[in-house]
Amino acid sequence: MAAKAPAMAPAAQQALWFELMQFYIREAWLLDERKFKDWLDLFTDDILYFMPRRKNVLRRELHREVTPLGDLAILEEDKRYLEMRVARLDSGMAWAEDPPSRTRHLIGNLEAAPQDNGEVQARTAFLVYRSHLETDHQLLSGSREDVLRQVAGGWKVAKRTILLDANVLLDKNLSVFL
Amino acid sequence: MGSPRKHAVIDAATGKLDRRIFSEQAIYDAEMEQIFGRAWLMIGHESLVPAPDDFFHTYMGEDPVILTRDGRGRLHALLNMCRHRGNRVVRCDDGNAKRFMCTYHGWTYRNDGALDHVPGEFEAYYDALDRPSLGLIEARVETYAGIVFATWAKDAPSLEAYLGDARWYLDTVFNRRNGGMQALGPMKWLEPVNWKTLVDNCSDNYHVPTSHLSSAQVQTRYLGRPRLSHEDQFASPNKHAFVNGHSITFRDADDNTPRFVHGMSKDNLQLFQEYHEATMPEVERRLGNIRARRVQLANHSIFPNGILGLRLALPRGPRKTEFWHFVLVDRDAPEEIKRAIRIGSQANNGAAGMFEQDDVDNWRQVTAASKSRLGRRHPQELSMGLGHAASHPDYPGIVSERYISENNQRLFYQRWEEFMNAESWGDIPLDPITAHFDGTATMQG
Repeated sequence: MAAKAPAMAPAAQQALWFELMQFYIREAWLLDERKFKDWLDLFTDDILYFMPRRKNVLRRELHREVTPLGDLAILEEDKRYLEMRVARLDSGMAWAEDPPSRTRHLIGNLEAAPQDNGEVQARTAFLVYRSHLETDHQLLSGSREDVLRQVAGGWKVAKRTILLDANVLLDKNLSVFL
Repeated sequence: MGSPRKHAVIDAATGKLDRRIFSEQAIYDAEMEQIFGRAWLMIGHESLVPAPDDFFHTYMGEDPVILTRDGRGRLHALLNMCRHRGNRVVRCDDGNAKRFMCTYHGWTYRNDGALDHVPGEFEAYYDALDRPSLGLIEARVETYAGIVFATWAKDAPSLEAYLGDARWYLDTVFNRRNGGMQALGPMKWLEPVNWKTLVDNCSDNYHVPTSHLSSAQVQTRYLGRPRLSHEDQFASPNKHAFVNGHSITFRDADDNTPRFVHGMSKDNLQLFQEYHEATMPEVERRLGNIRARRVQLANHSIFPNGILGLRLALPRGPRKTEFWHFVLVDRDAPEEIKRAIRIGSQANNGAAGMFEQDDVDNWRQVTAASKSRLGRRHPQELSMGLGHAASHPDYPGIVSERYISENNQRLFYQRWEEFMNAESWGDIPLDPITAHFDGTATMQG
C-alpha cells in the first residue's frame, strides 16, 4: 500500500487487526446470508465503490494495467446507486438474482495502515464462489483496498477499490456484491 | 417459393424462425465465412489509437486483429497472425509500438503490416524467402464519424453505401459535434449465448418492461427517470427504421429535450438541458434543423454485430459470445456531462449493469432451447406487427407503424439469409441512399 502506517505498538496493531478482521468476517456473513440492507449500512454516505478494468500490458508498462478513475470502469457506484441495486432485489423482477445466487465470500490477507486523520487503509484478498440456478458457477478472485472510517463508534467503508484477477470476465454476468 | 435457397430460416409471411441457427456448428462455421468474412465490421474507434504508432487489439468475428495507426497517421487492420507459423505478434490490449515481433522465432513486422525482419534471412533461408509477400494479412479499413470499420471482402461496397440511410439517424448521436466522440473501454465478458440473440434483442423494445422492470422502477424512484411500462410503450409515438439489416429505434418530437438516456437524473437534468441548448447552433449547422432538433436516435444495431453504438457481440462458437462494452461521449462535452454519461452507462450496461445483468439468463435459455431435439422442432414466433412496416414519406428506410413490433427481428434474419446465400457481394442487395443529409456533417465527421 502506498501510505505508510505511523509507528504503532505491537499490541495496538494486533488489536486493530483483530477488530478489522471481525468487521470483514461480519461483512462476509451479511453478504452470504443475503442481508443486503444491513450490508449497505457498512458504507459511509460518501462511499465510492469502484471496480476498474484490468488490461493486458507489457511488464514495463504495468502502470497502465489498472484503468484509472475517469476511464470506463466495471463499477463506479455512489451510495445512491448501491441502494438502487439492493432495492431492486426486492422487486420480484431482478432476474439475474431471482432465484438468488448462492455465494461464499472468503476474505483474508488483511493488511491495515492507520492514517494520521484517523482513517485506516485496509487491504484484503478474496475468493468468492457463486452458484446460480442449476449448474452455473463462478469463482471470483481479487483484492479490496478499503478506506475505513470511524462513524458513531463503528467502522464504515468510505472507499472501496475492487481489483478482479481477470481481463475478460468468464461469467455470464456480475450480479453479486464483492 | 422461387429458386431453392441454401439457408431458408425465416418465413417472411408468418415470422416463423428456424431455431437451428442458434446452435448448429455447421451454420456457425458458414456465418464466419459468409457474414464475418464479408461484412463491414465495427472494430474500434479512432480515439483508441490517437497518436502515431498507437495500436488497439480487437477482433473481426473470431479473428484477432490489430488496429494500428502507422507513423504517418494512417489506420490499418492487421490479422494478428505471424505468417511463419501463426503465433500472435501482439498480446497486449493496447499500446504504442513501431514494430511487432513474433515471440516464437522473432519475425518482426512494421505497424503497417510489412514483414521487416526475419532472423537468418540470408544465413538460414539462403535469401530465398519472398519477404514482401509475407506481411500481416490486412483488411480494408474505413471510418464513419471516428468509428473504425473493417472488412476482409475486396468486393465490398464502400462503408458509406453499406451504412446507407441508417447514417441519417446515426448522425444524430455519432456525428453531432465538431470535435467528434471519444471511446472509453471496453469492458469484456463471456456470455453462454449465440451472438445473434444479442443483436436482435437490441431493438427489441418489447422485452424492456418485463426484463428490466426492477431496474427501471428503482431508477424512476431514485433518479427521476421516466416511468416504463407496457402501456407507455404501446402508446409511444417512437418508430423503428430498417436499412440494409441495420435497425434503428428513433423518436421524432420537437420537445427540445437532451439526447442522453444513461446518466441523466433529476439532479443533473439542468446541466444536460444547458448542454443541449448551448450546442444546438453547432448541431443545427452540422445536421440541419430536423435532425438536430427533432430526430432522436435510441436503441439500434449495425449489421451484423454492432449493438447500441460501439458495443460488439463477438462470436466465440455457436453458444458463446464475448461481449465488448464501450461508452462513447462527446469529446468536447463538459467533464461533468462525460462523467454522468459514463457512470450511467456503466451502472446500466456491461456485465454488472443493472439492466444488462437481467438479460443474460433469458438469452442463454433461448440458445439452449435451440440445442434441444424437441425444442428445435418448434420455430421462434416472430409475427408481431406483420404487414405493418413500409417506406415512409418523412423518414428513410422501411419504417414500422408502431414502436413495438418484430419487424426488427424479421428484417435482421432476412438480411442474415441474404448474406448466407450470396456467392459474392454482387448478390447482396443494398438499399439506395435517398435521404437528404442536410448540414455539414460527412462520413469523416
